[in-house]
Amino acid sequence: MPRREFIPGRREPEVPSNTFSYFFREAFRRIWVSKRTSFVAVAMIAISLFIVGSFLLVAENLGRAAEEWQGKSRVIVYLESDATPQQVEAVGRWLASKRELSNRRLVTREEAMARFRIWFANLSEVVGQLDQNPFPPSFEVDVEPRFAQSRAFQQSIGALKGMAGVDQVQYDWEWIERLRRVVNAINIAGLVAGGILAVAAAFTIANVIRLTMLLYREEIEIMRLVGATERIIRGPFLFEGFLQGTFGGVLAIVLLFATYESARRALASSSSILWGFLFTGFLPWPKIAALIAGGMLAGWFGSWLSVRERGDTEH
Amino acid sequence: MIHFYHVTKRFDRYSTALQDVTFQIEKGELVFLTGPSGAGKSTLLKLILRQITATEGQIVVNGRNLNAMKKSQLPYFRREIGMVFQDFKLIERMTVFENLSFILTVLNVPPKEHKKKAYQALRTVDLHHKLNAYPPQLSGGEQQRVAIARALINDPLVLIADEPTGNLDADLSREIIQIFTEANLRGSTVLLATHNLELIRSSGRRSITLEHGRIAEEKARVTERPHVREGVFGIGG
Repeated sequence: MPRREFIPGRREPEVPSNTFSYFFREAFRRIWVSKRTSFVAVAMIAISLFIVGSFLLVAENLGRAAEEWQGKSRVIVYLESDATPQQVEAVGRWLASKRELSNRRLVTREEAMARFRIWFANLSEVVGQLDQNPFPPSFEVDVEPRFAQSRAFQQSIGALKGMAGVDQVQYDWEWIERLRRVVNAINIAGLVAGGILAVAAAFTIANVIRLTMLLYREEIEIMRLVGATERIIRGPFLFEGFLQGTFGGVLAIVLLFATYESARRALASSSSILWGFLFTGFLPWPKIAALIAGGMLAGWFGSWLSVRERGDTEH
Repeated sequence: MIHFYHVTKRFDRYSTALQDVTFQIEKGELVFLTGPSGAGKSTLLKLILRQITATEGQIVVNGRNLNAMKKSQLPYFRREIGMVFQDFKLIERMTVFENLSFILTVLNVPPKEHKKKAYQALRTVDLHHKLNAYPPQLSGGEQQRVAIARALINDPLVLIADEPTGNLDADLSREIIQIFTEANLRGSTVLLATHNLELIRSSGRRSITLEHGRIAEEKARVTERPHVREGVFGIGG
């Protein structure tokens, strides 16, 4: 090894190039040595991210449902029961003349009755006892989502309502808008609750790292005396927090997926109409990655808090 | 290489460990530091490693003024110094190899060279067969030699040892001093703190005696390279 003479002004590497593998090795070893305290830290992170993830998952599914319903924006034009065939035809022509309206379908009174019998099988007997078919004929048309948001659409609906034979025009995206607001509120609530919990988890990690540093204080002193820089000394502790955060993030995702699948199997099969929209899919990859990254960040931040404090006591 | 100019170290108003100490150790010298317990030997060594700072006076080691040295420069300065601590300061959870390998990691030596270098350093102290042992599994003398191997592995500019022969029998003490003498021959400036006056006398090397925190006596070197003529202290070649 070449003798290292002192050269004024020479810049030494802060962290040697082969040190990162040492950081990881040491961090893994320390986690293994302090299994119980590490588990507490990992569990705290996992619980925090699980809660955030739950909110995100509910919001994601509701959002998807809203998206789907918005995509299928539909207008139902209920006709009067005694509407004449000419009036029905006139309404059909009017609907056909609008480019923004597509998939026009006439639902006859008989079809409406048949649908009711399928959807509400328990009530089919009651309907059978009625003297006459209570369901009016209707037109169902799909509306382009962009057009549905426009002022022109409102004007068209006004014109449609004024046509002879038209009883009622029903469209349903006002509540979709409300649903979107609910989704946003859920997202914000999840992020706030999760954020608070993540900070608490970061402090737990900080305490765990502080304990580990106390455990290793003699070793740290030796390292300083043989020329280890603060970064080399602190590196394994930072990586320890980072790894705990990563494990916490991964554990949260695994738990979330397991819970989601169990709930889907338990609820979705028994009453799919009621719960089906909550189980359209798990979180997308970017959100999974964001949750794990959140764990990493919380772990890193926690360990940074404790190693930063120790820096002042060096000699 | 090591310059002390009127150095005083006070821990508090009533405790003065060193008082107006001035001496110089030139590059390539091997010097003994001696004196009774509490004379200030360990304090002086701690000052050289800048574990503590002088209350008054100036200390220059390897061209660096320790009073003016920034905290951020301290690790790099310490890498130039091989220190053998009185209590060895080995990391107990690490094997002998890992204790040495850690220093090489700090020094940015490629990992593939660690085994070879650790083996060479341990061979110097005749402990190459204990590469995978843990410090608690070793005797006091063996731990002492591992600590020496660790100090030597960097081929340091300055080699300092605090009571390196404490608790060792006479034969082992001579072997340990032989190792330091060889490091000195390879170019390291060596400062050894010891109680063992017999070792100092038989070496014929320069010695500095501390008493009550002051330099009580300085003896110059009296023989020329004894290891060449008859081996150090009568052993070896």
